[in-house]
Amino acid sequence: MDDSFFAYLQQLEVMAFFSGYPLIYATVVVFAGNQHEKNNFKTRATSLLPFAYALVGTLFLGFQLRKLYPDYSVEHLKLTMQQPLLIIWGLLSLLFWVPALAKKRVLSLIHSLVFFFFLIKDLFLQFFNPSANNDIIKNDMRIYTNSLLLNLGSVIVIILLSLFYTYYKKPLRS
Amino acid sequence: MLVDRKNMLHVILLYALDHGSVKFNRILLLCKYLITNHFKNTFMKLLDNKMLMVLLILISGGVYIVGCTHKNEPVPASVSTGTVKTNHGNHIHLAGLTNGDSTQWKLDQVHSNATWSTAFDGVAAPLTGRFNSFGVADVSSAALQTNYVTKGQPLPDTSWAFYENVPAKTHFAGYVQINTSNTGEPGRDGGCFLTTMGTSPIVAGTQNLTVTNVAYIKTTSVEFDPAGNDYLVTFNFTWKGMLGAPLTESITGKLTYVPEAAVSTTESYMGLEFQFQFNCRDYGITATDIGSTITVDLNMNFNNK
Repeated sequence: MDDSFFAYLQQLEVMAFFSGYPLIYATVVVFAGNQHEKNNFKTRATSLLPFAYALVGTLFLGFQLRKLYPDYSVEHLKLTMQQPLLIIWGLLSLLFWVPALAKKRVLSLIHSLVFFFFLIKDLFLQFFNPSANNDIIKNDMRIYTNSLLLNLGSVIVIILLSLFYTYYKKPLRS
Repeated sequence: MLVDRKNMLHVILLYALDHGSVKFNRILLLCKYLITNHFKNTFMKLLDNKMLMVLLILISGGVYIVGCTHKNEPVPASVSTGTVKTNHGNHIHLAGLTNGDSTQWKLDQVHSNATWSTAFDGVAAPLTGRFNSFGVADVSSAALQTNYVTKGQPLPDTSWAFYENVPAKTHFAGYVQINTSNTGEPGRDGGCFLTTMGTSPIVAGTQNLTVTNVAYIKTTSVEFDPAGNDYLVTFNFTWKGMLGAPLTESITGKLTYVPEAAVSTTESYMGLEFQFQFNCRDYGITATDIGSTITVDLNMNFNNK
């Protein structure tokens, strides 16, 4: 049984989670400006980016577990995973919960560029292959929009959590 | 004295030209080091400055602009004025078995289904099932109605052609193996169902297309449905059931075309949905726990990879 259709769907799933991160990353970094400036909020926003990315990775893990429910056997896992390398690469984003790795925020960008590459590839094919179907790029557009919203939401959630944490930590110390 | 890396490369090359004794592989190693570092610096700069954002916005914008052209979308139907608007394209799909030939469309049997339903006890909510084994092949010839020792499709699924805008040229034939009916109750499917339908149990590794176990259809005419965008199909339905010999009835069903759509640059899918009803009493089925009218839905997916 050839499952290239399902493999394509799985690629779209992974893109829905991670492809929007590079633009969110770049936006935050550019608006944060020079990190040497003593602007606490901006510095914090940029340093929290890898954690936001890890949160998206956690949601992705949850999505995969939900898909497997209730059969978590190896056979079912093999049957379900049409794009094992992509999924494993996606799950590696969980490593950004590790503070030592999160300090190197550029790694999170490099990690997510793998998924952004599929957009570039489809766009490239659309431009240079006249017979290419427009539906693929339309799928990409919708998936990319969702991914941007998800990653933006993730950044906002992480920043809010960080602010709450700081706010409640200060009175405890005083 | 400080020498930047670009200048250092020139210095080394000049030194290498002046001093023939310098080994070539050492120069190569130095060049490699400089190029790698230069690339690394450029890449890191790209990742860390506004150029990245501009690049990402350009690519993102490209995706949205190209994705929003609407060039493949059908014109939306206008507000009803009492007349039916139809929108038949010019797709032509012909059957074939050659892998890699995108002009040949192959039945994706594992992603298709043939289902039946009938009112339970003739009055209640539908009792449903599917046939696990079916195909798009013409088995009307008695010579083909036999047992095939194979686990795959016994006959090539090539007895069809579809012309979206010339229905008179559209035709298809297909069959189901009655004993592969699956209602989700193994006791029923392998027990009373078989006796009710007058057929025999499944033999592993054998496709039973014998006269007692096969029901098949073959189109006689296809035309546009004046009430919509579908097609009205007149066809012969043949089944032995509990009769002494197979009975053929002419029935009309509705065919819906799901237009082809690419799922990758090398593969497209299209679908044909066909629905019809027949009276099982005509075929000697007397069991009263099923209704007289059996509704059959055939959802066939085809790809061109």
